[in-house]
Amino acid sequence: MTTAVVEPASETSSILRRNRLMDALLRSLTRAAAIIVLIMLGGVIISLVDGALPALKTFGFSFVTTESWNPVTEKFGAAAPIYGTLVTAFIAMLIGVPISIGIAIFITELCPRPLKRPISTAIELLAGIPSIIYGIWGLFVLAPLLQAYVQPALIGTFENVPMLNNLFAGPPYGIGVLTAALILSIMVLPFITSITRDVFETVPAMLKESAYGLGCTTWEVVRYIVLPYSRTGIIGGIMLGLGRALGETMAVTFVIGNAHKIHASLLAPGTTISASIANEFTEADGVMYTSSLIALGLILFIITFIVLAAARLLLLRMQKAEGRH
Amino acid sequence: MQTRPNVELTKTVLTEPIAEALREKVTIRNLNFYYGDYQALKGISLPLYDRKVTAFIGPSGCGKSTLLRILNRMYDLYPGQRAEGEVLLDGENIVDPKTDLNLLRARIGMVFQKPTPFPMSIYDNIAFGIRLYEKVPKSEMNDRVEDALKRTALWDEVKDKLHASGLGLSGGQQQRLCIARSVAVRPQVLLLDEPTSALDPISTAKIEELIYQLKVDYTIAIVTHNMQQAARAADFSAFMYLGELIEFGTTDQVFTKPRESRTEDYITGRFG
Repeated sequence: MTTAVVEPASETSSILRRNRLMDALLRSLTRAAAIIVLIMLGGVIISLVDGALPALKTFGFSFVTTESWNPVTEKFGAAAPIYGTLVTAFIAMLIGVPISIGIAIFITELCPRPLKRPISTAIELLAGIPSIIYGIWGLFVLAPLLQAYVQPALIGTFENVPMLNNLFAGPPYGIGVLTAALILSIMVLPFITSITRDVFETVPAMLKESAYGLGCTTWEVVRYIVLPYSRTGIIGGIMLGLGRALGETMAVTFVIGNAHKIHASLLAPGTTISASIANEFTEADGVMYTSSLIALGLILFIITFIVLAAARLLLLRMQKAEGRH
Repeated sequence: MQTRPNVELTKTVLTEPIAEALREKVTIRNLNFYYGDYQALKGISLPLYDRKVTAFIGPSGCGKSTLLRILNRMYDLYPGQRAEGEVLLDGENIVDPKTDLNLLRARIGMVFQKPTPFPMSIYDNIAFGIRLYEKVPKSEMNDRVEDALKRTALWDEVKDKLHASGLGLSGGQQQRLCIARSVAVRPQVLLLDEPTSALDPISTAKIEELIYQLKVDYTIAIVTHNMQQAARAADFSAFMYLGELIEFGTTDQVFTKPRESRTEDYITGRFG
């Protein structure tokens, strides 16, 4: 009798114990996965700082402000790649963002149904093209076209316009900062487009209908309802695109010209941080050379971090301003 | 059974003077509506009388909302939806493809099942619609906004936070804001698509009170699932079933002495 009573009780308690064990196991496994990310991030930062230390010690803050990059005399300055990185990314966003938002508006608000899917698919395919293909296409197709037609036209048009004539000056090389920015704008386009399209589709149909119901035109609905409603999502998409534009390596390396010089003209060759690193890592022999390249990497890391932090801050402030009360 | 004759007596006394003043603001004639191949409305004919409240009642999917959405051509937003027949607004056929939709929608305002405040301040929610049609100086705009908010009994609740977001209001306040927004552009007809279905009883009572006051100036059509609401708020009622208009008459007649047995079954809760 007693054994019959005890047995089921011990059985349930053993099941309970096993469940508790499984739960503890799950907890520690997932926690370990999360901690590994932090450890890796910390490791990357530490090794970047450690590797960059010789260069930073030697050149100090002037590393960031010096333009000259001379492997022979081992005098290195990061101003040119930093400038190139920021300018190409900026121009890429200038071109890419309006076009992406335009495509997203067309797909969600205006597109006839049979066209909707093909356009969306085409944009997703654009995101899937490896960056090396953008690079060779840029070098062998886009750059010659720009050299033959677009750049001479730009130079001619802005010849007598103050300020702008400096931006579009010099011989049309084909490759250069502007070409790299154009390639980048094409590369960020699918990311920004698909994110903005997704957030546009979260705007409640009833909200749009009530704007149409007041007599709004499609433009007014987009301008005053859809865009404000999806503002935070759009900014998120732009930041994702910007992150890609800042860090993109291969395609830029192909078409930017790889010259450690800051030119006023966008048509002149330049370089970016990632392009410099990719180009020169194999030939970096001295300690100072390698260390300078790693310092470049650290700077790119910091720039990306600042961009992400700024985006977060902007979103937070906007959410506060919208103030749900 | 015994009370019926009495009711009928009062009815004839009441309806006579009303009938004299009635004018058809909107006339729906032999209206068919299709979602692609599916026919959602079958030969609907009925009037909406000027400055009266007409309720559309019937079980879910009977075409009440569809009918309402034809009146401001909302279906035009969606490909594959089309209407045949006539809907005359002051004698002008608004189903005609040549009708200017923006102007039509300025004349016919609409309020939806759920409050849909725009993502902007309370003030701008109202001013937005006005700015679409008129260039109004700031002081007059202030007056128009205040007037619209007073008409919807919202003014006292929001006058100190006009520039706060409209999303911060309670559900009932948001819905009154949406009505105020429609009223501000001075439409002639107001379409209310189950305006209280997402609201608590107190907010619902306020909206019904509002409907009562608004019909002094506007022709109102309201879709409702709430029988009591139709009985309380509407002068006329239309019972619809499976895309057809079963019965149309004064609310008193439809609710107390329905001509059709299906109407009676629905009203008394035997189906639907």
